Amino acid sequence: MDSDNVDRINQLLEQDVELREKIKDQVAEFDKKTRTMSGILNRIHSTPSDGLPALLTSVQPVLDSCKDVTASLAAIIPPNQFWRWKEMWSISLRNAVFSAALIHYLQHGTLLSLSEATDILGIKSEWQDRFSLPIEDYLHGLITLVNELSRLAVNSVTLGNFEQPIKISVFVKDLFAGFSMLNLKNDTLRRRYDSLKYDLKKIEEVVYDVSLRKLAPSAKAENPAPMVE
Amino acid sequence: MLSSASRDSVVSVFDGFRIDLDDHNDRRERLIKSSRDITNLSKKAIFLLHRIMTDDAPSGEQDDRSRNARAAARGREKLKEIQKLFAVVGEEVAGDRFWRYQRNVSPGLQEYIEALSFTHYLETGKLISYNEVQQTLCSESGVSYFPLPLEDYLLGLSDLTGELMRYAISAISQRGGRIKASNVCTFVRNCKADFEVYTPHIRDLRKKQNVTAQSLEKIEDAAYTIAVRSSEYDIPLDMLDDFVARTVAMESGGGGKKRPRDGDHDRDADDEY
Repeated sequence: MDSDNVDRINQLLEQDVELREKIKDQVAEFDKKTRTMSGILNRIHSTPSDGLPALLTSVQPVLDSCKDVTASLAAIIPPNQFWRWKEMWSISLRNAVFSAALIHYLQHGTLLSLSEATDILGIKSEWQDRFSLPIEDYLHGLITLVNELSRLAVNSVTLGNFEQPIKISVFVKDLFAGFSMLNLKNDTLRRRYDSLKYDLKKIEEVVYDVSLRKLAPSAKAENPAPMVE
Repeated sequence: MLSSASRDSVVSVFDGFRIDLDDHNDRRERLIKSSRDITNLSKKAIFLLHRIMTDDAPSGEQDDRSRNARAAARGREKLKEIQKLFAVVGEEVAGDRFWRYQRNVSPGLQEYIEALSFTHYLETGKLISYNEVQQTLCSESGVSYFPLPLEDYLLGLSDLTGELMRYAISAISQRGGRIKASNVCTFVRNCKADFEVYTPHIRDLRKKQNVTAQSLEKIEDAAYTIAVRSSEYDIPLDMLDDFVARTVAMESGGGGKKRPRDGDHDRDADDEY
């Protein structure tokens, strides 16, 4: 190999090594934030409904600070190289989408849209070729949301909230109907989608138990003290 | 009522996702197919080069240099066809798409680099440089179809050593083939040394280096046989060729089998205890 070629190769390699280090630092930061959020949000399973707004408010600053990370990443990534590096942060990104979607659901009872998620994470459309929120990552975040909500359906009953499982059931069924519209390939998204039916089943069982014992809100009026038994 | 309205809106949003995901999957399929076509054409080009280099030279073509030039010219023709396919791939992966599909394109690209570097070697006796490869993947106006990934460049070159081994071994039985084989031997040895520093950075290069080491050993063994035999005086050239041919047959047949047989032996021994 002549020296010009060796120089060229080394130059390319050094660029990549340097860039990878920079991205790693940001991803570590991103990861820390998403872990903090999951940690706080884990308390929804033990927090009664009246304590929920305060809990969700306490996560908000961490969620907002994710904007700093996405902005730093967009600044580091060279033009047109988004897909080259995205695997380094896709787990963090999916977790961030999950947290944002969970907060949104608990606050509004609706689905956080892709463009809302993009806005919350501060991702700008002009970054398109350097940093964006791909549909796949958004969908991964939503599947994690369903996983979490199936747990919440169970735990909210334990906390005496019999309305929540029914709301969750409707929401998750809508989402499942959405996922059924997709032609998924044999990849991780497909496998995770296939597992959704177990979450659905779990939620259905909770709804069934609650309705059967007349704990559900519609039955509540007739039986004002459902917990006494 | 309310739930069906929310269902409709979710479904319509996911409808949009489906279009997007289908588009992505279709494009990926097309690129995988292109990559396979490129691989096929590249293999054909490599076979063509081997054929020209081992065929009996047509009368009038005396020296090796003109044979090499003829092979390289034919190789270039084949490579042009492949470059046309890359032009199509280039349109498909414009802008930020390239890196999304790089892994789907990479097998064909590496095979192409193997064929290209083989042609280049026959023509110049040198290793093709990164910039030279990138230049072959450009439109006439000089705009590259996509950036050449360093790993594809190095992995493609790493496959060249295997082809050169075949070339050297079959050349040995030809007149003047011994010098050729010794040149290839030096060249492959240098390649191996050059690539070694990149193994920590390029995934899969380590494996390919091992293959290169095996190829190198085969050429070295053949060269050794020649050195030993030539040192014996009074040996006719055609007889020498027989010796070499025998070594080659043993090496190409025995090299791969040797190790599994040792492994079998060990396993048998383990079973006894």
